Parts: sequence; structure tokens; C-alpha cells
Amino acid sequence: MIGQVLGHCRVVAKIGEGGMGVVYRAYDEVLHRDVALKVVKKDAHLDTSSSQRLLHEARASSGLAHPNICTIHEVGENEGELYIVMELVEGRSLAAMSAGGGLAPESVLRYGIQIASALARAHDRGIVHRDLKTANVVITSDGLVKVLDFGLAKQVGSSIFEGPTRSLASIENASSVSGTLPYMAPEILCGEAADHRSDLWALGVVLYESASGRLPFEGRTGFEISSAIMREIPNPLGPPIPPGLWSIIQRCLAKEPAQRYQRAGEVQAALEAVQSAGIVSPSPGPDQNAPRSTILHGVQHAHVKKGDFLLLVGTTKGAFILRSNAQRSRWEVGGPYFHGHNVYALAYDARGGQHRIWAAPSSYWGTMLRSSDDFGKSWTNPQQAPVRFPSDTGLSLKNIWQIALGRPEEPNVLYCGVEPAALFESRDAGETWSLVRGLFDHPHRPRWVPGNGGLALHTIVLDPSDNQRMYVAISAGGVYRTDDGGRSWTAQNHGVRVVFTPDKYPEFGQCVHKIAMHPARPERLFLQNHWGLYRSDNCAENWTDIANGVPSDFGFAVVMHPRNPDCVYIVPVESDEFRCACEGRLRVYKTRNAGASWEPLMRGLPQKGAYETVLRDAMAADSLDPVGLYLGTRSGQIFGSRDEGRSWHKILEGLPSVVCLRTAVVEDESASLKPAPTKAARPHQAKSHSKTKRRGSKS
Amino acid sequence: MPVTFHIPGALREFTAGHSRVQIEDSPPTLAEALAVLWTLYPGIRDRIATEQGQVREHINIFIGVENVRYTGGLASPVPSGSEISIVPAVSGG
Repeated sequence: MIGQVLGHCRVVAKIGEGGMGVVYRAYDEVLHRDVALKVVKKDAHLDTSSSQRLLHEARASSGLAHPNICTIHEVGENEGELYIVMELVEGRSLAAMSAGGGLAPESVLRYGIQIASALARAHDRGIVHRDLKTANVVITSDGLVKVLDFGLAKQVGSSIFEGPTRSLASIENASSVSGTLPYMAPEILCGEAADHRSDLWALGVVLYESASGRLPFEGRTGFEISSAIMREIPNPLGPPIPPGLWSIIQRCLAKEPAQRYQRAGEVQAALEAVQSAGIVSPSPGPDQNAPRSTILHGVQHAHVKKGDFLLLVGTTKGAFILRSNAQRSRWEVGGPYFHGHNVYALAYDARGGQHRIWAAPSSYWGTMLRSSDDFGKSWTNPQQAPVRFPSDTGLSLKNIWQIALGRPEEPNVLYCGVEPAALFESRDAGETWSLVRGLFDHPHRPRWVPGNGGLALHTIVLDPSDNQRMYVAISAGGVYRTDDGGRSWTAQNHGVRVVFTPDKYPEFGQCVHKIAMHPARPERLFLQNHWGLYRSDNCAENWTDIANGVPSDFGFAVVMHPRNPDCVYIVPVESDEFRCACEGRLRVYKTRNAGASWEPLMRGLPQKGAYETVLRDAMAADSLDPVGLYLGTRSGQIFGSRDEGRSWHKILEGLPSVVCLRTAVVEDESASLKPAPTKAARPHQAKSHSKTKRRGSKS
Repeated sequence: MPVTFHIPGALREFTAGHSRVQIEDSPPTLAEALAVLWTLYPGIRDRIATEQGQVREHINIFIGVENVRYTGGLASPVPSGSEISIVPAVSGG
């Protein structure tokens, strides 16, 4: 054929061969352009009338001037061979591009819209494609879709079956069927005539394949494929495929033509809606990022003055701001703020002379990071959720478990630990946030498993002596440390026991409940594990069991004394199964020697029938002298101590479950906040309990 | 016929207090109708949908009395003159 002239086209080179015939590159010597020349095989089962109909169809298709349809320039016959001269399209087939996992949803939408647009034009002219498939869709180098072989399939019969399955023995009247089996609509397999809705089925298959790299209906034989097409529901496509796209695909793949879209234009509009709704990769304009503010009416506010002391309380039904003065004996209650929301994370940011309260209320309307500069009277309420997973992750924010302030020398830096477990960072005082990829891309991440509260990164600890070092704790993933500002992370769990896997000392996977560090001794950390109480003296390289004389080594909260790096407070609970104060006695345990021994603190705390639970962030210390301690319970009580834990009193009861406590001194003039001198407290050296409740004790 | 959205109380601070929002066009699908609503009142979007574009787990959207979870999700057709309700599901503790 090379060198031969058909019509006024000289054949230059063979560029492909399909079931229908051979395709050549040719040169139109009249119009001086490169074209594609398809010569239909003589053995393509065309009788005279079929041949005439093909000619008719091809001529009709040649009238389809549309940017996404490969234009047919000419059809003719040469020595009994039918040939078609068409636009030469150079690019990659959608089949090739979709192989290996599919395309990004944005690309699927972009190409799908163009294919649907091409179908809409053809259907309006009464032309049905009948063999739409990814192999018949070419994407040019500038992203333009070209649908090939419009209207050419109908008359060619079974000879054009391609792909892995040609066996159609199970299909009656196979010779009357045209198309490629995996793309065939059920009605065609039933022997019914194909119409434009069969093309919409094929479009559904094309979209599915483009999005996933897989065919929706697969099988080893023609029979299996046919059976799947007739009876099976394709496997759902989850994230990152937006549900809008998946819904469109499902509707295209409705078994009954009447249940599908009825016009290609409808599919195009639906795809465009998903695309223009921007819900694939939202990129809101700057106006949407403008912080909004909500002024709360009908809420009792605390009247905060400079010099006041604040206790910020997060509960499962909202936040409260408790105000007192240096005495910490009388309390004014503001709130509830974020009525009905879970508030697992609160922070007070006084850097740079501000008085900003951060909160992360979470409800069925999502989780929003919000802040108030006037002690709760008004709160930002951003149009767009500031902390959000990028679209390529396929993840959605479930909760913010921790808001951590950056170092004092970086007053605009903030961190959020979130569920599903990830770390976010802001370097512009919370205006914008980015996912810390170094941790997110850690190869361990797919093997972290959710604890009882979900898969959460709940603790963030910054090393004050090294601005590149930072720790996070993940339940259940363990402790991770970065020494390069977050670019890379290592699991630091050596010596921390796991009771719920066969390997008791794995590299990672520990259900760490809390870690704490004293800024004066940043190489030392304390860790409350899901069973196990530990200390590390070497930046979490190794951990040592320090459950010496506590009634149980199960617990949640760990709080450092603000000035004594050997002094730590915990609240043991009985067991994993019974997460309540041991023996119904609410006792805080304190060590003054970094865990060598522990003493119970219980004066003023309920000691009978007190099946209380203090969760991981529901205990806090203040920075005053003497140190005040606060704990909140799941039953909605808050207890406080003004003498470093020796004696306690109830501050408030009747709250929803307390999940977060934070302390703050308004204004950095703590001298004026020192409480009046108190009588020297009587030494209270309670005898340590000798028995520690442990799960599967090592001894 | 315009399409009408019923806005729940929790979201009215994003619709200037309006409990009903009418869209003059007649968008063919829910996704398009929501896109119009979000253009008018952008704060609504992240309350209804996750960052991955899924309607939040405990939020239901009804076109008339039909929950769109059973009619094609965001691709559900929106007949002219439809009333679309955004309703938090009965859940929680």
C-alpha cells in the first residue's frame, strides 16, 4: 500500500491495525495536509448492503464538525475496498493513559466532559457510536480529546471485537452484535438494538476505567464478562474519586436503559457540575479565606481582667472559660461556647502580647479551628475549614486533638495534631495550614491502627533547646521524633511494651496515651502508655518502666510540674476494660524523683464510689507558686488544688464530659498573681502502694 | 421554576440569617445546585462537604422528600421548582 494513491491521498506509512482494518498515515495531495487513511478489511463481513450503510454512516459522520470528534474527510471505494480518510490525530489513547491505576479525578472529569460533548453532538444528529471505549479515545498533546470511529461500528458486525475476549459463543446472534465486549451494554447482550443510551453505558465504562485503571466488569472469558455485565454491580470507587463522579458513573451503568441518563448532554452537565463545584480540588478565592467573626449572644461570658487566671475547659458538648484570680478560690463561668460541639483541643496564646484562645470545635458540620481575642465574646468562623487534608491524600479531617504553640521566638508558628493521624503546621499565626509531609509520608503510616478514640495524633512536644527537634505521639502508632524540623521522623518506642500484638516490643504501633517533657530537661520524657508508665532520659531513644508503686500502670494523663523536672502527676485507672479510678477512689499520683516512687494525692478527692475517668488532656498544671493542679472527669466534674496536689476541692460539677483543660494567666505579670502566703503545708508522705496493676506483667 | 434551599439554623450565620435561599436558575443536578449555593454563601460548603467533596457523614440532603443518598448523591437530578433540605442526621451521644 505504501506509495499508493487512494482518492487524492498518497499512503505514506502504516500506523496501526485493528479489527476493522489497517490505518495508514497519508498525505492529501490536493489540500496539502497529513491525514489518516483507514482501509476496511475485505474480510470484514460486509455484504453489499452493509457496505452501502457503512458508506452512508461514514458520510453522515463526516458532517459531525466537533472539536472532540475525529473528523472524517472522505469515504470512498477502491477496487472493492472501502477506505476512509480522516483527521490525523496524534496523541495517546485513553486506554494507555488509564492503565496502571487510573487518572486523577480532575483529568477524568476533563476528558469525560469532552467525550460526553462529542456524544451529545453525534446523538443530536442521530448517530450512535456503538463502540466507544478507551482505545477509541485519543488525548492530544495539548489535552484535547478526540473520539475516533464515530458511526463506523454499526455495520461491521462481530469482526471488530478486540481486546482480551472475543468469545461470544454464549451470546445469541453474536454476528448481529457490534462493539467491544467489556464496554457493551446489557441490552445489546440481550440482542436488543443499541441506541444512544448504549453509548452512555459505554461512557460509564470509560469513566470507570479512566478513574481506576480497571474495567467495571471483568472476567476470564466472554461468558464471565457477559455475566458480570448482566448481573453484577461494579466495585465502588472511593476517594480520591469524588462521590459526585462515582454517582455519575453508577447512573451511566444502570442495567436498564431507562434508569440511565437519557441524553449525553445530561452526563456532560453533571460532570461539569462536579468539576465546577470545585469539590475535587477546592481553590477558593481570597475572599473566602477572610476570617469571619461570630459574636455570641445569649451566652454568659466571664468578665476577664488583666491579672486574672483562666481555666479553659473543653467538653464533649462545648467549651467553657473559668475565670478566677491569683487565689484560685472563686470562679466565674463563661460559656458554653460551641454549644453541642466536641472540643478536644484548646490553647491559650499570649505570644507577642496577645490574648488569643484557640479552640477546635467538632460536630457533624465538620471540625473548624477558631480563635477569640476577647475571651470568648466573639470567635472567628472561617468560611473555609483552615485545617484540611490536600485532595491527593484522599483523607478528610475528623477531629483536631491538639493545638500546640510554636516556640516563643516563632510567635506565628502553630501546630495541630489531628485525626486521622497527621500533623499540620501554620507559620502565619493560624491563617493558613499545611500538612507536614515528612510525617505523613512515613512508611509506617499505613500500618498505624486506630485506638479506642480513633487514629489520632494527640500530643505534640517541642524541644526548647533544639529548634529542629520535636516529638509527636500517635494512638496507635507510638512516639515519633524529628531532628530536622519535620522533614524526617523516626519511631522512638524502644522499651515500650505493646499488649495487643504478638510482638511485645515492636518498633512502632504502641498505643501511647500521653507524653510530657520538662523544658529544663528536654532530653527527658515521661510516657503514659496503654498499660505501662515509662521515662526516657535520652530523647526517647530508650524507655524505662517507672511504674513503681502505682495501683495500675494504665492511665491517660501525664502532667509535669512547671518548675521541678523530677516531679510528675498521673491519674491511674483500673484497666483497659474498666477505665475508671482504681477501687472507686479518685487519686492523683505524684513522683518527686522522676518515677523512682509515687505517692497518692487524695485529700479532698472522692474516695468512695468514685468511678471517675480523667482523659489524656483533662489534667493541667498552672505556672503559679505554689503550683495549681486541675483535673476534669468524664462525669463532668472539675477538681482543683492550690497546693501542688496535697489537697483538692471541687471547682465545678454538672458539666458534659471533660476532655481538655488548659490554664492561662492573663498578662505576663505573674508577680501580681502570686497567692497570699499560705501556711507551710504539712509534709504528706503517704506510703506507696506496693502492688501495681499491670496487664501481662513482664516478671 | 426556582429551586429553594432550606438552611438549617446552624448554617444561617453563613446565609445572612436566611432560612430559605432561592436559586433563580434551574440546575439539573444537586452538585450544580450546591455549586450555586456555595457561590452565594461560600461558608456553607465546608460545613456540608468534606475537603474530599463528600457530603459529611451525618448530614442528609433531601430533594423534596427523597434522601439523595438513595437517588444518586450529588448527581441526583433536581426537578424544576424543587425544595432542597439540608438536615443533620439523628445521631450522636
